[in-house]
This record gives sequence, structure tokens and C-alpha cells, in this order.
Amino acid sequence: MTNNPIIRVEDISFSYKVNQDQQIPVLKNVSLDVYPGEYLAIIGHNGSGKSTLSKHLNGILTPSEGGVYVNGIDTRDRMRLHEVRSKVGMVFQHPDNQIVATIVEDDVAFGLENIGVAPQEMKERIDASLAVVGMSEFRHRPPHHLSGGQKQRIAIAGILAMRPQCVVLDEATSMLDSYGRQEILTVIRKLHEEGMTIVTVTHHMSEVTQADRVVVMEAGQIVLQGTPREVFSHQARLQELHLDVPDASRIAAYVHAQCASFSVDLIENDEVVEEVNRHSIPQAEASGT
Amino acid sequence: MSAEFELSRNITIGQYLPTESVVHRLDPRFKLAAFVILILAIAICNTYVGNLFALVICISMFAVAKIPLHYGISGIKPAIPFIIILATLQLLFYGEIANGGTVYVQYGFITISSESIRLVLVSAMRFVEVIFLSSVLTLSTSTTELTHGMERLLGPLHKVKFPVHAFALIITIAIRFVPTFAMEMEKMMKAQASRGADFGTGEWWRIIRRTKDMLPIIIPLFNVALARAEDLILAMEARCYTPGASRTQYTHYKAQGKDYVALLTSIVISVIMLVIPW
Amino acid sequence: MNRSIVEVSDLSHTYMQGTPLAHRALNRVSMQAAKGECIAIIGHTGSGKSTLIQHLNGLFRPQAGKVIVNGLDVSDPKVDIKLLRRQVGLVFQNPEDQLFEKLVGDDIAYGPFKMGLPLAEVKERVEWAMELVGLSFEEMKDRPTFALSGGQKRKIALAGMLALRPKVLVLDEPTAGLDPRSRQELLQRIRRLNQEERLTVIFVSHNMEEVAQLAERVYVMALGQIACEGTPRQIFGNQEILREHHIGTPEAVDILYKLREQGYGVDPGAFLPEEAAAEILKLINR
Repeated sequence: MTNNPIIRVEDISFSYKVNQDQQIPVLKNVSLDVYPGEYLAIIGHNGSGKSTLSKHLNGILTPSEGGVYVNGIDTRDRMRLHEVRSKVGMVFQHPDNQIVATIVEDDVAFGLENIGVAPQEMKERIDASLAVVGMSEFRHRPPHHLSGGQKQRIAIAGILAMRPQCVVLDEATSMLDSYGRQEILTVIRKLHEEGMTIVTVTHHMSEVTQADRVVVMEAGQIVLQGTPREVFSHQARLQELHLDVPDASRIAAYVHAQCASFSVDLIENDEVVEEVNRHSIPQAEASGT
Repeated sequence: MSAEFELSRNITIGQYLPTESVVHRLDPRFKLAAFVILILAIAICNTYVGNLFALVICISMFAVAKIPLHYGISGIKPAIPFIIILATLQLLFYGEIANGGTVYVQYGFITISSESIRLVLVSAMRFVEVIFLSSVLTLSTSTTELTHGMERLLGPLHKVKFPVHAFALIITIAIRFVPTFAMEMEKMMKAQASRGADFGTGEWWRIIRRTKDMLPIIIPLFNVALARAEDLILAMEARCYTPGASRTQYTHYKAQGKDYVALLTSIVISVIMLVIPW
Repeated sequence: MNRSIVEVSDLSHTYMQGTPLAHRALNRVSMQAAKGECIAIIGHTGSGKSTLIQHLNGLFRPQAGKVIVNGLDVSDPKVDIKLLRRQVGLVFQNPEDQLFEKLVGDDIAYGPFKMGLPLAEVKERVEWAMELVGLSFEEMKDRPTFALSGGQKRKIALAGMLALRPKVLVLDEPTAGLDPRSRQELLQRIRRLNQEERLTVIFVSHNMEEVAQLAERVYVMALGQIACEGTPRQIFGNQEILREHHIGTPEAVDILYKLREQGYGVDPGAFLPEEAAAEILKLINR
């Protein structure tokens, strides 16, 4: 990609202060660029620093060393924090803990009120963003009667209304059941197709295979990076890091071990099916003749 | 029988009853203002007829709002012991202070006069009126409208550095999390009961036997609440919330003729209550 | 097979009975668990799973129908409910939230102390329970609970339940929110409890990989009823059931179904990656 990154993470380190003279380092010299329109997945087990990294992307945390720049704006510049945060929106893990208002449309309005959008324009933006996440009919409902997936869709709508360039999902699907997760993935896929930059922090490999690029974190550093196919080809390394690989990759590896010509770098279910086709059709023809 | 843990389902805060009446459709700012005026009038008016008049008005308000009267009456029931205790105390100890009128009984420090009886009866009537009035208000106004209305009414206080927005936001968030915490508490009680705690096995009042027994619920609830608050702060910050900064407002209310009529009516009622001499 | 240790028959439950908000959560549900069995209950949110498992230790009493656990009749008003709750260890979702003592050991000891056991036995049980979940007693008992990771806290909560020495362990979404490493570890612990300690395990899950790995038998719930019941092989091998009840399929099963749609003779009930690979090898080695 030749265009300029939306987010530049330049050699950042970050540590939590436990007390006066004790600090726990969480991030060590991490550099990362996020490009417009990209779908980036960050994986790593708990405590690897992936959530901390994601919280740096819109200035919720600021690095102890190095710098994070959103459209060239330093996230430490408190005067321009609103610009940063309305460009990079963030959806968090707990559906319940990010809804502020007692009815849905008021919650979507919350961010807009904060950045001083005029009331007439607010209505248009709320309509549009509720429509994108498919929650228009719920606009007058109180949030506590909604399902987890619906609540997360409201959270996404609240961010979309601020017209961001990038949406960061910090384990946004980890508290949802498979149905709720599908709801969110559908919305995310749609947003990405429309050109939205997506950064997702996740444990679910089915979300990772959809990404353009995967970043693997361990002990506060990026240890592996590449397309999902490249990353999942390092099965042994991922196992060392206690990370899952998609079942498709695992199956491919089992088959490959017995039948060397069966491709090993498969990540999606359909690819396995195709690979089986590739291997069995000549045989079928052979048996036919 | 199995209701011992059903907390969240019994909680009704802001028991909004959407009957779409004219009272429901009033501008919440005006509705709240009218409410405050009437409450003030009730607090000041100490005549029999004035209060009877107010009582009639309150009851007819249920009809206008298309809310069955039993909602209001069920609001009074839990207050009855309170009213009786208050009445007894007033009857026994207020005679000296409420001097004037004919003295009926004089026994030691106890004085019962026509004035102290009036005080007792009027207080009881006031109690009922206030409960009726607040019932109509909360049954006809959603919590969201209530906080909006309050925020707008308090708006002028912004000039004297009163944090109106923050105040309204706190109330909104508090209301928003009531059902969440009720569910949390129910889950926590069940979880601790499952690993040997005593509640849920006997009468409900055994729950409050000893505070120490409540620690397994209170401490985790507190932890969870803190964790939630932390999350919420992050989420609010991420959406550009800055404490004290000026914000725009999404909901705008536009007063209509009926709102002014309602306000005017409440003023007229108040004036009538206060000028009635008996 | 042994006699059932859990026997639920025709159980119904309605929330807020007699009000306009009445909601029927369970409708004539019947299920059994044999001693030592590992059973998964799956179904959509709101299908009645949670309500069902809360009947097993008497948090709910049957409004209609019967629940008998290890010979104790839950619907009998005179049943010793505390005894029942010690026999059926019900672990809620995110049980780490319920820890309240400062030190790990104290928290696990809460249940045994409430039973009125002497100190020596409490200590012995805590030690036993901690070893079972893979926490070293000597090393961990005096650690402050709040400083531990989510996965460790969850193990402590599980140990707190095991210290009651239940006969049946009931788990609601045992691995929700854990990272893959802690999830695998916890699943192995649960499996060991089931296989080595002969504990009957009933768990609710929406993670089908987990169901595939652990369960011997699966109940599918929908709209407050048992929609169907069978071994994981039977359930995952039946696409109609999966579609109808919006059950996510394990990835391996999804691949096998796609192969079958293209006319390959594979058994879609082969839900583990190794098995699926074996099915594929059959196709291409022929």
C-alpha cells in the first residue's frame, strides 16, 4: 500500500505503574502502521499486551516512550484528542459497560453531543448509523432488554455516527454467543467492504481469517506478522504461544502429513474442499476410464 | 416458593405506563414545572377544603392520564404505617406547638386541640396527594424524559457554575444501571447460595440477620461495580466525553399550546388551594 | 450404564407467573444424567438452559414436574436444600466475580466452613480441591485473590465449589471470555474431573468445539423445550437440526458438509479435526 497510514505507532513502550518504584512493562518497542481500508487482526493470549496496544490507537492510553500518530496528530496532544477519537472509534469487550443512556437513540447521540454536532445533523447521523447496524426499529427501546449482540451493534452505531475512519474492536465479540458474534461479524464485514479501516483484537480464529493482515503479540512485542495464510503456516510457533489455528489449517496439516501433495497453507473451509477436489478429481477420472 | 431470588424481575423503576394520554404527551419540562408548583402548593396549603380540593384534582388527574387509580392506591399501601406513626406522633406531641383552636383533651404534656387534629388530618391528606401526584408523573413520563426535563429546567443554574450536564448524566447512568445491578445481585446471591451461603434457604428476613453474612455478596458486587465504572469511563472517554466541556443536545423539546395550558392550570389550582380560607 | 443421578421429568417454569409479563421459560422438559456422564446443554440465548440448570440445585423449585438429584426430590418442600446444594455444585458464568476473600485459600474454604466442618478437614478439602484444578496449595493458598489472572481466578472459583465434594458438577459457560490457553487448560481439568474423579458433569455452552471435545451426550434446547438429544456425532451429523436451531457447527463439521454437498461420501459426524482429516484421507488415498 502506497498511501499514508491512518495510524502510525512508532516504537512505543508502555508500563503500568504499580507503585513509586515498581513498574510492569506491558509494551516494548512496538511499531505498527494501519493503512486506510485495511482489516487488521491483533492476536495473542491474555497478558500479551494486545489490548494495551489497541487502547493506544485512539489515545485512551499514551505511550511512555515513542509516539502514536493518528492522521499525523500525536495522541498525547490533549488539545486535539477529540479529532483523534472521532477518527478512531473503539468498541469494548463488555456489551453492558459501554452504553450510557436509558434509550438506544440517546446512546448513539452521546458521542455526537460530546463533539458538538448540531441537533438537526445529529438526527440524520443517528438514522444512518442505526440503519447500518440494522437496529433502526430499536431506537426507542431501553438497552437492558437487548441481547448482547444487539448491544454491541448499538455501541458500533454510536461510533459510526461520529464518522470515524477506523473502528477498533477490543475483544468486542468475546462475551457473545455464536449467534451474537455472527451479527457483529456481518456488520464488520459490511463496513470493511464500504472502505472502513478495521482493527480487531480477538481470540476467535474465524475472525482472523477474514483479515488482510494479522499481528501476533507475545510479552509486549510483535512476534509474527503477515497475511492470515502466512501467520497460520507457523503452526508450531503459534502452538508455542498457546494460540489456536483455524480447524481448516489443522485438518490440512493432518492430511498433509499423510499425503505430501495436499496443500498445507489452507485457512478457510472452502479451501479445504477445493483442495480435496483437486486431489480426487483426477483419481475419479482415472477410475472412470 | 421459587420467588426468593427473583429480584430483577420485581424491580420497576420508572414504571412508565404508556397510555398515550394528553398528560403523557406533555413537554417534560412543563410537566415537571407544573408538578413542582403543585407540590409547593400542597406543602403550603393547610386547610381542609383546600386539601380536599387538591385530592379531587389528583384523583381526576388519573382519569385524564388514563391510568387506573389502583396504581396510585398501591403506591399508598406501603406508606400507611408511616402515615399512622406520623399521625400518632403529631397528635401526641404537636398540640403544644399548634396552639389555637379549641382544646379537647389536656392530659400532662398531651394536648389535643382542633388545631392539632387539623394538622394530623391535613398531613395525612398531603401524604396521599403527594403520592398520587408523583405516581401520575412517573407513570406518564419515561425516565429519559424525566432526566431531560430536569436537565433543561436546571439549565439556568449553569450560569452559577452548577454542573447541570454532569448532574443529569449521573442520574441517567444511575437509572441505566439499576436493572444491570439488580441482575448482578440476583446472580451473586444464587452463586454464593450454590456454594454454601445461607440465604435462599429460609425466610427472606434471614438474609439480613447478620451483616457478616452479606459480605460474600456486598464485596463482589462492589468489585463488579468498580470494574463496570472503569469500563464505562473508558468507553465514554473513547467517545470524546470531557467532563465539564460544553456539549450539544440531541433531544429538543418545543413547547406547544397544551403545555402552557397545563402550566397555567397548575398555577390556577395552586392559587385556589391557597386562597380557600377553611 | 448406571442408574440416573439426575432425573428431570416434565419440568415447567414460568417467570412472573400471574402477571401480564409472565414468560414461560421451561415447558415440560425431561432429561437424565447417568452417574459419571458428561452432558452438554446447548441452545440459543433464552432457550431455557439457565433456568433448567438452576433447578438442579434447588435455586428454583419445580412449579410443575419433578427434579430428582441423587435421590433428593427438589420439589419436596421438606428436602434438605443445603445438602442438595452440596451434592450439586452449580458454577455460574464468570464465577471469578464471586470471589470475596482476600486470600485464595480462605475463599476456597468458605463453603466447607459453612458446612461446619472441623478446621483439619476444611484444610484437607481445600488442598484436595486446589490440586484438582491445578493450583499448588503451598504456593497459592496465601496469595491475594485480586492480583491473579482471569483464568486463575476462575480455577479458584471452581475449586471453591469442588471443596464441597459435589457428586454432580454443573457449569454455565465454563470457558466464556478465556483466552485459548486458559480455555484448553480448564477443559482438560473438567475432563479429568469427569473421567478420573467420576464426577457427573453437566455443562451449558455455545462453543461447539468445546461440546465436541467434552460431551458424551448433548441436549439441544429451544423455546423452553428439549428439541433433541443425542451423542455429539448424532447431533453434528444432522444438518437439519443444526440449521433449525441456529447451532453453530464445529469448523470440521462444516467442511465435511461442504464435501458431502459435492457428492463425497463422508461422515459429517466426524467432528474432531483428526477425524475429519481421516475422512478426507479416505477420499484422496483411494
